[in-house]
Amino acid sequence: MMTRAEERVRRPVPTEPLTRPGGDGDGPSKPDVKRPDTNELLKRMRRIDPEQARRYRQRSGQ
Amino acid sequence: MNRLLGIETEYGLYVEGRGVAEQVMEAVGLLRSCPFPAVKGCWDYRLEDPRRDMRGFRVEHLAVDPNDAQIEREHPISLSEREARCDHVLTNGARLYNDHAHPEYATPECRRLMDLIAHDKAGERILLACARAYQEKIGATVKLYKNNTDYHGSSYGTHESYLLKREVNFDVLASTMTPFLTTRQIYAGAGKVGVEVNPNPRVPYQISQRADFYMDTMNVETLYRRPIFNTRDEPHARMREYRRLHVICGDANMSEYATTLKVGTTTLVLDLLEDGWTVNLFIVDPVRTAQSISRDPDGKWLVETDKGVMSAIDLQRRYLQAAQQRFAGRDAETDWVLREWETVLNLLETDPELLGDRLDWIAKRQLLSLFAESEGVSLDDPAMIALDLAYHDIDPAEGLYHALVEQGRMQTLTSEEAVQQAIQHPPADTRAAIRGLCVQRYPSQVESVNWERIILNSGEQSVRIDLSQLTGDIRDLTRRLMAASDITEFVNLLQSPRRASEPHKEAQQ
Repeated sequence: MMTRAEERVRRPVPTEPLTRPGGDGDGPSKPDVKRPDTNELLKRMRRIDPEQARRYRQRSGQ
Repeated sequence: MNRLLGIETEYGLYVEGRGVAEQVMEAVGLLRSCPFPAVKGCWDYRLEDPRRDMRGFRVEHLAVDPNDAQIEREHPISLSEREARCDHVLTNGARLYNDHAHPEYATPECRRLMDLIAHDKAGERILLACARAYQEKIGATVKLYKNNTDYHGSSYGTHESYLLKREVNFDVLASTMTPFLTTRQIYAGAGKVGVEVNPNPRVPYQISQRADFYMDTMNVETLYRRPIFNTRDEPHARMREYRRLHVICGDANMSEYATTLKVGTTTLVLDLLEDGWTVNLFIVDPVRTAQSISRDPDGKWLVETDKGVMSAIDLQRRYLQAAQQRFAGRDAETDWVLREWETVLNLLETDPELLGDRLDWIAKRQLLSLFAESEGVSLDDPAMIALDLAYHDIDPAEGLYHALVEQGRMQTLTSEEAVQQAIQHPPADTRAAIRGLCVQRYPSQVESVNWERIILNSGEQSVRIDLSQLTGDIRDLTRRLMAASDITEFVNLLQSPRRASEPHKEAQQ
């Protein structure tokens, strides 16, 4: 565990930690994949139980 | 950027077959299942003072939500306050505990935006691991949602903390921050189906999860009568030198980009204030304005100010332009925030749908629209609320935000490696490193701990470690502490008068 922390301390600070969206480096990255169609998304959404929102009740927080 | 930052997130908790009456016990059960090493039950509340107001007084009582008070009266719990809080301090310097029946993860103090994003995401992973362990233990479905509402009128918070110099006058701070906080939802909102206060069927979708719950422009409250500008005066650092801006009006962002932009722009506005700049205008009715912007996602977002009517985008540009003039070229993170802030404001004006890969409220609306078109239902169909909730499900196998990331439809900023690192380790350049090292190395010697103080039992005596003045970059001190061979050397390093006088070079820039 301490070895990993040491690595973190020694890791060079990137001079350009954030770049333009879609750029390279340590900044924002959009996976280099062709946008799939929406079927998978729709499948995932159809799996959502529509009753879950009705059941979902919370105590009030901060 | 060079300011102590943090995000506290209260997670929504669903346990199959249980209701609000059991929520405190379920939150405790979940936290007791935490599979990560931690110091437990030692949080030191003695330095906390949530009733102290920046305006120079202390309120007698904090307001409570009357519905919630009724639940508490009708369903008392048999735990002590300490048992109910179930405090954990983790090896990464974070705090994990039960806050008003919500498992809350408070990131360790960070200095760099990229560290903060990694630690915010690490919090999701840590809570997910707790939920899975608890689910296995009780044999019922356990789900956690990183959002701010149950869609039935109960809200819970995602708060941001920013340390700033106390020399910034309170009136100047409040008057410049309030217009900014009222309007930043146009890029920081998480999106919400419906309206929870004064239901209005003409508003099927709004920008902000939290706007329905604003009741005052400013006050010290957090549980009820929530304000846009919170006046709590609890710096968690030396009171005479620092304030902490405690932002409670924001939404829980799933998008890393939105979180970064939200925190980055707010940091720059504080930089402006410390540089002597003020916005020099005020919004006539901030609460009404925030709610009208939120409830009109395709509107012009007009804001009535003492200087006339302007759009929320142009109001944000006032802050942006001042920051560009003063801070462009200062460092890479600042330049990223300035560039993306400008890009986002321009796109919100010309083609907001292009921001569906960056901003939560637009990404979520595009998802809902896709479903509505496919299934032949309208945006105010009750099923939409379930989809809204599912967007915030932190389980990557089920959450809709995670489905977008999986399919390459959301831009991400941090890496899996950084998140894994953040689950175990604190940032090396803030006082959180000292807290994390104590938990990693000397967990049984920690007598008490909080944001600004640790009491260690180093053998025959208790030693008080004061972190309140360690607000600079402490990487050099962290290196020396990591090299300490035992607790005596560790404590001696912390008690040396040289420790705070040798800040890392970057902290002096």
